[in-house]
Amino acid sequence: MPSPALLKRLLALPPSLRRSFWSSSATAAPAGKPDIYDVVCVGGGPAGLSFVSALQSHPATRALKVALIDSQDLTTSRTANDAEKYSNRCSSLTPSSLRFLEGIGAWEKAREERTQAYHAMDVWDGVSGSKIHFDMVDKQSHGVLDSIAEMVPGSRFQASRRKYETSAEDGVVATMCENSNLTAALLQRLKDFGAGEQLAQVQMWDKTKVDSIDLGPEAVDEKSLDLSQWPIVTTQHGQIAARLLVGADGANSPVRQFAGIPSHGWDYNQHGLVATLHLDHPFTASELRTAYQRFLPTGPIALLPLPDNKASLVWSTNPQHAARLKQLSPSDFTATVNAAFRLMPVDINYMLTPSASNQAEEFAWREPATPASSTGLPSPFPRITGVQEGTVASFPLRMRHADTYTGHRLALIGDAAHTIHPLAGQGLNLGLADAEALATQLAYGMEHGMDIGSCWCLDGYNSERWAANNAMIGVVDKLKKVYSAGSGPVVWGRSLGLEVIDRLGAVKGAFMGAAAGTR
Amino acid sequence: MAHLRALQLIQLPTALRTTALSRAFTPIESHVAPCGVANAINSVRRRQYATSPASASHPQSSVNHAEVSHFNTLASAWWDPHGSSRLLHLMNPLRHQFIRRCTNQEVRDPAQKLDYLDIGCGGGIFAESAARLPNVATVTAIDPTPEVIAVARRHQRTDPLLLEGDRLTYLQTSIEDLAQHSPKQQFDIISLFEVIEHIQQPAPFLTSCLQHLKPGGWLIGSTIARTPISWFTTKFVAEDILRMVPRGTHDWNQYIQPQELRDWARGQQELSTSDGLGWQVMGVVYVPGLGWKEVAGSESWCNYFFGVKKLG
Repeated sequence: MPSPALLKRLLALPPSLRRSFWSSSATAAPAGKPDIYDVVCVGGGPAGLSFVSALQSHPATRALKVALIDSQDLTTSRTANDAEKYSNRCSSLTPSSLRFLEGIGAWEKAREERTQAYHAMDVWDGVSGSKIHFDMVDKQSHGVLDSIAEMVPGSRFQASRRKYETSAEDGVVATMCENSNLTAALLQRLKDFGAGEQLAQVQMWDKTKVDSIDLGPEAVDEKSLDLSQWPIVTTQHGQIAARLLVGADGANSPVRQFAGIPSHGWDYNQHGLVATLHLDHPFTASELRTAYQRFLPTGPIALLPLPDNKASLVWSTNPQHAARLKQLSPSDFTATVNAAFRLMPVDINYMLTPSASNQAEEFAWREPATPASSTGLPSPFPRITGVQEGTVASFPLRMRHADTYTGHRLALIGDAAHTIHPLAGQGLNLGLADAEALATQLAYGMEHGMDIGSCWCLDGYNSERWAANNAMIGVVDKLKKVYSAGSGPVVWGRSLGLEVIDRLGAVKGAFMGAAAGTR
Repeated sequence: MAHLRALQLIQLPTALRTTALSRAFTPIESHVAPCGVANAINSVRRRQYATSPASASHPQSSVNHAEVSHFNTLASAWWDPHGSSRLLHLMNPLRHQFIRRCTNQEVRDPAQKLDYLDIGCGGGIFAESAARLPNVATVTAIDPTPEVIAVARRHQRTDPLLLEGDRLTYLQTSIEDLAQHSPKQQFDIISLFEVIEHIQQPAPFLTSCLQHLKPGGWLIGSTIARTPISWFTTKFVAEDILRMVPRGTHDWNQYIQPQELRDWARGQQELSTSDGLGWQVMGVVYVPGLGWKEVAGSESWCNYFFGVKKLG
């Protein structure tokens, strides 16, 4: 039997004001007063965890009451101890992402021996063989553009170069890191914040599904608290009201759906196939490493270095080829990957037709007939000798961009805000940059007495990140489209483009600045 | 309210509240001297809406009913992100930066929290933000216009933090009547943001503010200098051309030069007016697309902040 006061409160709720997504409990009026949190972050991936860590590491946002909700068991996302085994989900962290992770004290918690920096990048065209080689020398050379930039005081180009040069003294283009390694490091960092530094610990609710998100109840009377514009998150742990609800909950973000923010884009009709590979010879930790990417008409294939003789494969291809590749035996798979870097597109297509079998043998006789000079194969290019068991997986590729990243008491970061083609390895880096920008904006808001859920605080985040991400998404999308052509003028044009860019060190430097996440 | 003087029968302003497209308020265009600094002082007394204070129903608070009704009609747009209060919201962070610049002069015990009085609080843009700061104990915010106080209180209820204890108290009163309404009488910071340009006789008004300032406390405000540039930007462009603020929001003749304020402060025994330690000024300029920016030296030609410290 509910008390009269409770009954009165329940009756006062106009359901029309409450939006909800998917939930069957949406019609049930929230009973009792929800716990009030300053920040509720849905999603404990790298973007969400780094955002919460960034809040904890800034004095202005340290005291915020924060909850983090994830449906998965975050304690199990530990990295394997086995130096022979690497996860197939790796990311290429740009120097600016690393600076951010170092700044919030997370990078030192990562298992560094499982990360691998690379210092150069070879990109070549699978049809024409024209190529481009990126390394740090390009970025440091002084060309015409620098001379022009120097004449314009305070020009952005000049400033970005300067920033770049200080950041890349060690000549690192990017650093490969298993996502699980990064996630574990961030979790460890959060744990240490709570324990060692006597701070209010972040409320971590993992293995917790968000049952519903609604707007809060109308105020009982003219004098009492009015949460009618606050998001109320219902989970098995009860109801919590969020001053700011952060959606770090991935491409199908329930938070974005609650907010009714449209997300536009298209499917590429491509799958990203990943695997952990073994190379023919080991590398020591101090050796300079190179990342390789070849643009095939079916999509780019990339070989990214991991420690010792390991490497990470990211092969974007059509769904039929991806399905076929997953069926192959380890030796046939290995041969096909070697073929994808070394043979002509026609050979690769043949090896992946449903009728083709024994790819290892096919490759063995086709390879001597294909001179490296005709395919543009960089030398030295490592030979792939095997694939780690159980690491071949694929996922559909999409491009999506939310119309806005913010709403009243709501912000989106990471994949919830944007999904990008993996060819430039930028997805996770954009998510980390979102996390950093949002945390910085909240710190500014706290220092100036803003309501951190209001547009006055969040507008800065949206304007800073939306345009930057839109540019990156656009460039990557166009690159993908240009390199999908198999013949004709587009190939001549793009080959000419690559050759010209390769000859202009300064232009390459500027390109790399963008690729390395220099801002 | 012990020592009220007749001169204090002044129009308590409701601050520059740029707000919605006011249709109710009839602009007083006739009295505006469109140019020429020479007209300035003399024409002050000719303001049409400066109804005789003696006829006011509340002789001690002498709230100007024309202004009250002007801001009543604008009340709803206070918290509209795209409404005409937008410029005030955007200016708000600078207010805190300026207060910090003033109060950072002396070494303070971080545990000692401050009491704020915000005069002419309007919808509560500054008062709310001050009440959220970790070094603030209480904020008392006053405005004579009932509607804006209602808007402020309604908005206060949407943030549980602001309902805690006496963190934020809104009172519908003038500064002269504060003693009757407020349990708290003495404050560390008294703020007058976009207020004095609405006042016909600033000197007695400021003096009555000082009575509520603790020794060592700061009187802080922002206003507009009386120059051809400020006439052009705040009257001609903002009111007539862009209609960013409703017509009649400002009377250029009542704008005050920083030097005039400082001269007034020098005449007050209890105020410290030495450069930096007791007297601070900061010129700010609104740059479309970039927001409000501090521009050194601009205080003598348009919007500026001032701060003066009470000896103690």
